[in-house]
Amino acid sequence: MSALVIDGLTVVFGAFRALDGLSLAVDPGEVRAVIGPNGAGKTTLLDAITGITRPRSGRIRLDDGRDLTRASEAEIARAGVRRKFQKPSVFPALTVRENLALGCGPDCPARERPARLARALAETGLEARAAVPAGALAHGEKQWLEIGMVLASEPRVLLLDEPVAGLSDDETARTADLIGALRRPDRAILVIEHDMAFVEAVADRVTVLHEGRTLFEGAMAGARADARVIEVFLGR
Amino acid sequence: MAEGPGRFGLVALLLWAASLVASPALAAGAPLDRGAFTTALCGDGAVQGTAVEGILHASAEAESGDVAWAGTVLRALLERRLTCLGGSALLLDRAGAADGRDAATGAVRPVAGGRAPVLGLRQRALAETASGAASLLTGSGVAARRAGLATLERRITSVPEALLLRAASAETDPGLKVSLAALAQSAALSSADPARRLGAIRAVSESPSGAAFSRLSALKADPAYGSDPAFRGTLDAALARVARAVSIGDGLAVLYNGLSFASILFMAAAGLAIIFGLMGVINLAQGEFIMIGAYATYGVQEAFRRLAPPAWLDAYLLAAIPVAFLAAAGVGIAIEALILRHLYRRPLMSLLATWAVSLLLINGVRVAVGSQNLQFAMPPYVSGGVPLYADFVVTWNRLFAIAFAAVTLVLTLVILKRTPLGLDIRAVTQNRDMAACLGIRTRRVDRLAFGFGSGLAGLAGVALCPIYSVNPGMGATFIVDSFMVVVLGGVGTVVGTLVAALGIGGANVLIEPLYGAVAAKVIVLAGIILFLQRRPEGLFAVRRRR
Amino acid sequence: MSGALDLSPGVPAARRPGPSLGGDPLLAGLVGLVLATALALVLLQPAPYLVNLVGQLAAFAILAVSLDLVWGYLGILSLGHGLFFAIGGYVCAMHLLAHAYAVTGTPPDLMQFMGWKSLPVYWTGLTSAPYALALALGLTAAVAFVFGLASFRSRVNGVYFSIISQALVYVAMLLMFRNDTGLGGNNGMTGFSRLFGWPMGAPGVVTGLAVATLLCLAAVLVGARVLVASPLGRRMLACRDDEARLRTLGYGTTRLKLGIWCLSAVIAALAGLLYVPQVGIINPRVLSPDLSIEIAVWVAIGGLGRLGGAVIGAVAVNALKFWLSAAMPEAWPFILSGLVLVVVLGLPNGLLDLAALRLKPTWLRRAGSRP
Repeated sequence: MSALVIDGLTVVFGAFRALDGLSLAVDPGEVRAVIGPNGAGKTTLLDAITGITRPRSGRIRLDDGRDLTRASEAEIARAGVRRKFQKPSVFPALTVRENLALGCGPDCPARERPARLARALAETGLEARAAVPAGALAHGEKQWLEIGMVLASEPRVLLLDEPVAGLSDDETARTADLIGALRRPDRAILVIEHDMAFVEAVADRVTVLHEGRTLFEGAMAGARADARVIEVFLGR
Repeated sequence: MAEGPGRFGLVALLLWAASLVASPALAAGAPLDRGAFTTALCGDGAVQGTAVEGILHASAEAESGDVAWAGTVLRALLERRLTCLGGSALLLDRAGAADGRDAATGAVRPVAGGRAPVLGLRQRALAETASGAASLLTGSGVAARRAGLATLERRITSVPEALLLRAASAETDPGLKVSLAALAQSAALSSADPARRLGAIRAVSESPSGAAFSRLSALKADPAYGSDPAFRGTLDAALARVARAVSIGDGLAVLYNGLSFASILFMAAAGLAIIFGLMGVINLAQGEFIMIGAYATYGVQEAFRRLAPPAWLDAYLLAAIPVAFLAAAGVGIAIEALILRHLYRRPLMSLLATWAVSLLLINGVRVAVGSQNLQFAMPPYVSGGVPLYADFVVTWNRLFAIAFAAVTLVLTLVILKRTPLGLDIRAVTQNRDMAACLGIRTRRVDRLAFGFGSGLAGLAGVALCPIYSVNPGMGATFIVDSFMVVVLGGVGTVVGTLVAALGIGGANVLIEPLYGAVAAKVIVLAGIILFLQRRPEGLFAVRRRR
Repeated sequence: MSGALDLSPGVPAARRPGPSLGGDPLLAGLVGLVLATALALVLLQPAPYLVNLVGQLAAFAILAVSLDLVWGYLGILSLGHGLFFAIGGYVCAMHLLAHAYAVTGTPPDLMQFMGWKSLPVYWTGLTSAPYALALALGLTAAVAFVFGLASFRSRVNGVYFSIISQALVYVAMLLMFRNDTGLGGNNGMTGFSRLFGWPMGAPGVVTGLAVATLLCLAAVLVGARVLVASPLGRRMLACRDDEARLRTLGYGTTRLKLGIWCLSAVIAALAGLLYVPQVGIINPRVLSPDLSIEIAVWVAIGGLGRLGGAVIGAVAVNALKFWLSAAMPEAWPFILSGLVLVVVLGLPNGLLDLAALRLKPTWLRRAGSRP
């Protein structure tokens, strides 16, 4: 039983097929990395899952059978699918705590909210910054705050879009730890990343995308050995 | 006829006149008895009337020399330069002169003891008509003949059709010939001969117009419409035919006006759309750039008046094209450099800033030039037009605007698709950061594009000078419509702007005659809002990566 | 910091209200001042001309607050708020005419001008003040709802929304210029002689109107303040700064925007219906796009995204306008446009920047001074 099932997804921009009949299933408890060269369709995949881009055909379903293909962004988020954007997307006018409260989502039970906020603050190490406007945070802190916002909602499916882009080695390592901590048996995590070392550290399996299709799926070691993957990545 | 006998040869005169009235054909070729005619003019009102009426009918057949002579005499009579002396009449060079030439013989004699005949109202009208007929038939210049025709038109019912036909067949000026033929037709409409009337009705319906329709409609009041089924049938058929043609012509005229309105909208909106696509800035002062273009045109006209030979004046409108473009572009570049450059990440604030600029420009021009409408001399290539079908006239001023917009469209496309600047503009529009990474100087592209867009609005200002009134507040007339063109067309696309301008311009003029100008605006706005439900990015959106 | 600004292109760096009314001393002070002015009008009985002026300024301040609510806190710049102001004003004018007709028996000029024997059907019931109030606010809410729904549902926002709202007010102006609307056409409506049965020009009525407007202003300020300091207010700021992001957190932003938009429109209508009896006339010029832009100018000059700023801007600009339009009318447009350019280019948070430079925390000062 998969947490997130993508079936024959096709997204077309004009004459360009960004995703071409892509199918993908992520299991609960799994951390899946999606890698691929630029233009392979990685970000488009996340856009389609989160409802920002409408697919031309195909389906996106959750494990309870709920169909997200035509749902609005807000409905998808309320169904438990959350995304961390590549550019840190926090609300600069609100404090860290207020950002986290928004991250909880509109359906967040009022009784659970304080506990969830406290947990998110603790996990992201931002307790001391709780009352600071998010606009005043450093770049790395914004990344963690955004992860914290996603955490506060306790998502069933977590989508991470290049979580370590632009981070220092130190911060990258810390982010990898954080993702390890996010892993839960009832949660599927989908990571898009360029940094191979990071992917190897966090992912159970990788899916290699090329020109909108799956080129390879399996363990990272397998991907490194696969001739087609090497050809695509290294142009040989 | 009931009055007493006149002093000179009355009986003979009556017989002569009667013969002319009864059968003009009898007079054909027969030379005019000039003596009898002048004698009659010196007679009492009835005799004068009969004689003048006679000569009017005779003009259709008489020798042109006689007609010209009669015209001279009648004009003298009307201008009180005719003096009756004994049995003959003398023509004076000017009223009150001491000597005059004998009208019949040309001999010069003193006028002492003579008297100028008095014309009654009816007789004067007849004399004017007959004199007009003579001018029309024998006048040496087109202007004189046209004046004669104008005199005849005033009393068309008393003009014999044959006279008009003769004038039409002899006429050499094409314009006058057309007017004559039309006038002959309408004269035939009131002919006593039923067959000729029917023919005339059919002939009138051959060249339909609003005027023809009202002329034919007037015949419904004719007794024959009630009594003569053939007349009734012909008239009804002709009316239906004319009505259809007139409505087609009116439809064409509406489309034509719509096209010219759309042309101006396109020129105003193309710049807006390019700038909006590039910088996300809507320029609320775009209407004032149109105004600057129009005022630059006025400045060029004044410069031509003062500095250039008068023969060159007609060329000012063409000379204004580059001047208006550069003037508007210059102001645009200055505004970009001084103000908008600082507001790139704050498009809503740039709205307010451009509004302040528009307020400045309007009031600056108001103080410097005044708020009255500017007067333009209209060169021949933008005045008048060619009647094409029914009442539809292709007016040169609107054709000028349409052609202008077409040229602008082509130039804009060429600049965007075929020049380095165009390539830069398209690149920055689609992905500013990437373009900057590739070494494109995006700020410079912004500035040039802003100047270009402003210049396009300046061109719109030139194009609308011959059509709309020019004053400091003129920009407001177009600005809301051109915003709607941008919204409907989508940003950064010239083709979208064109289609949207045609759509909005067309919708405005199509709805206007049916429900009024206000309803047209309401319907267009509602239509746009509904359209945005389906396609929020407009008709043709440039796809940008999120 | 740059990342944060990238996400909020329409609005200068955030101003964050504190948790309570006390958290915004400027606003608390203003509310106090408004109430004190109301009290002073009652006790000191200044010249009716002055009282009337204060009342008009207060009505403009309400209008400015209504716009600040959607622009400063939600990032929606309406260039058509004059429409809602006008709906309030027109319905109020209709009520005043119908009421005076019922009380005095003298038919309004409008009826004679149009050659009517009686008022048209849609004037029915307008003799009743509560019905007129309900109609003014209800009609405004309905118009705002339809326009807002159509726009927000299709995600029309930013500059697009601004110019479409401008087209809306422009079309409304053309509509009201027509005589056959039965609302006075070009001449508008004037000659109001009675208010709740009282003669209009009486000092008590003038003072009463001004005081009522001041009290409404105080109430609107307090209410708006409670709103923006609530969790809903946080959501408004979040929506302003990154609407797409807020949606991906599970919030339906269309409903949020639509609700605040309608509320703002209703407040604008309230300003209109308080304004019209004080000036004694309404005509289609109130719907001119320029007037609607001027409202935005008041807010920008006073300080966008601060309720107090909107009040200060509306009062300062209009007081200056009252004074200058009498003293040197030709100069006013130049001064106004100059003010706008200075504020837009140099003082992103309006006049408040001048006062606040030394009072704000450093991060706000840095954010605020960025162009």
